[in-house]
Amino acid sequence: MSLALIILIQASFYALLGMGYVLIYRATRVLNLAHGDLMVFGAFLFYQGLVMTNGSAPLAITTGMLGAAFAGAIIYFLLMRPLAGYPAAVRVLATIALAIVLRSLTTALWSGQTRYPAEYVGQLGQAIELAAGLSISVIDALIIAAALLSIVALPLFLQRAAIGVDMRGVAENALLAAQRGINIHNVNALSWAAATVMATIAGIFFSLKVRLGPDIWYVGLAGFAPALIGGMDSLRGVAIGALIVAATEVIAARFIAPHIALAAPFLVLLVALWIRPWGLFGSREELERI
Amino acid sequence: MRYLVSVPSTLRTTYASDMQLLGSGFTKFWAAVGLASMVGLPLVLTNFWTAVANQLFIAIVGALALNLLMGTTGQISLGHAGFIATGAFTVAAFVTHFNAPMPVTLLAAVVAGIVLGILVGLPALRLKGLYLAVSTLAAHFVIIAVLGQYQANVGYGEGFTIPPPDLFGWTISSERTWYYLLLGVTAIVLLLNVNWLRSAFGRAWMAIHHRDVAAEALGINVARYKLLAFSTSTAMTCFAGALWAYHTGFVSVEAFDIHMLIQFLAMVIIGGLGSVLGAILGAVFVILLPHVITLATESLPFLHGLGGKVFEIQAGLFGVIMFLFLALEPRGLAGIWARTRYYFELWPFRYRSWEA
Repeated sequence: MSLALIILIQASFYALLGMGYVLIYRATRVLNLAHGDLMVFGAFLFYQGLVMTNGSAPLAITTGMLGAAFAGAIIYFLLMRPLAGYPAAVRVLATIALAIVLRSLTTALWSGQTRYPAEYVGQLGQAIELAAGLSISVIDALIIAAALLSIVALPLFLQRAAIGVDMRGVAENALLAAQRGINIHNVNALSWAAATVMATIAGIFFSLKVRLGPDIWYVGLAGFAPALIGGMDSLRGVAIGALIVAATEVIAARFIAPHIALAAPFLVLLVALWIRPWGLFGSREELERI
Repeated sequence: MRYLVSVPSTLRTTYASDMQLLGSGFTKFWAAVGLASMVGLPLVLTNFWTAVANQLFIAIVGALALNLLMGTTGQISLGHAGFIATGAFTVAAFVTHFNAPMPVTLLAAVVAGIVLGILVGLPALRLKGLYLAVSTLAAHFVIIAVLGQYQANVGYGEGFTIPPPDLFGWTISSERTWYYLLLGVTAIVLLLNVNWLRSAFGRAWMAIHHRDVAAEALGINVARYKLLAFSTSTAMTCFAGALWAYHTGFVSVEAFDIHMLIQFLAMVIIGGLGSVLGAILGAVFVILLPHVITLATESLPFLHGLGGKVFEIQAGLFGVIMFLFLALEPRGLAGIWARTRYYFELWPFRYRSWEA
């Protein structure tokens, strides 16, 4: 498989994750450091669905997504709504608190054992021949398709759908939106639900492709790097950020050293924060300047 | 001037009383009693609980360092576990490569901390709030990755063993010896901290915390004091990491994960950001909580079934308690303590305290 294809697959995965960060940031102006654990939680819901339906993937995916959407909305009302008006730092720390609660919950419910949901589904490892000598496995093709679909569909949804317009209004100016009769808490809860579903999609893909266990939150957390590089309030920026991060990571893994590759997203992020803290496509006034 | 009621401890009437480290004779008396009981404590504690006390001392040094940065100067740092790892790995490297004695390695750890603080603090000159927090978290992952690569390359894939250190001809190996060494070290660090906060440094840091633009207008070199806060804090953190390495006797990169970072964040948040007393109370709370949970599951029959899940329960409780303190009691345990104290000091009046 060519290097470019590997980068594209990795970038698609990062884009799926990064869009979850952006959705939550736009709604509640908080960097959700619990995103990785939401991803693990959603993936475990999916796994539970697989076990209970004896391997029916569509049912399991529906279970995972519905459960995740529900969880996201509940988290907003329990955690973020009481902290409305608190400093951003406090709310970020609150998401760390959420992360450890979620992590201990998943470990308590499903134990720390590593699972391989792909065993239930099958046929995902099959290769599709794209061109002579260039093939891609079914799961990788699905990841790229899902990422492309979200990149096109999510901005369209925010632009056209009535509820999407509400979401943009709340993100733009919550006070004014509330004055115009939008229930900002319901809209924000929807954003959280949507972000949790995005995390779950990423989690389902990762658990099918690699493995499932409480320790994979690390993969989900790494998604904040593309989101920040692209600009925390820009869905389009995430795609570019994901490409940059994935390229650095894959090249570092191939040519430098495996441990350094793990840190590559964060190294890129440090450089990006230093040069252009508001991100490639983010709005500049978002940043509290000194 | 005469008062009808006793003067609350927060109300200072002279400059001399404002500068005092320990206020009245009453405070001095109880400070002396406290110190004496700390010295006598290992005589009654079992070896296990002495070890817990030693972990607690190291945690207090680490929590004081984090509090200096987050509480006093208001710079969020999510890189604390990485900074502790740097201190521990400095010791590991110096012991492994040069077989260096303890004073040298401790000094090296402090120097490493100062350099690291300047590196990590540089983004703080450009970034604020959320973005600074993210850059320190990114720094954490980079540090851990670099140290992990080092651990893998040097050939001790599993980690570094640190032999018990020699200090002035003494081998420090028993928990009781460690207790007295760490008690002394913690007392010195605590005194340093309290004095920093009473001096120009501390006032500058607090001014930056409250409003950096105003601090700049008052003639405080914000950039310099921010870097100073970062390097002081990371130097203390690395020092704590170095002590941790010696006391644990084994250094591996796996120990310095996000969970350690969360523990330290929990200490300063639950204790109360910006308060030295809070950092100590928070460290006590966080270090003792798992042991309390273990004792509870062992002694209470209806909790027996939870025995195998102590770690999960503890982590989950941390999260819930952290959130409750963030939402309901931002001044933490130190705030609760201060309120209780003022209540009794002002009794029978019900005026709110000056600070609250």
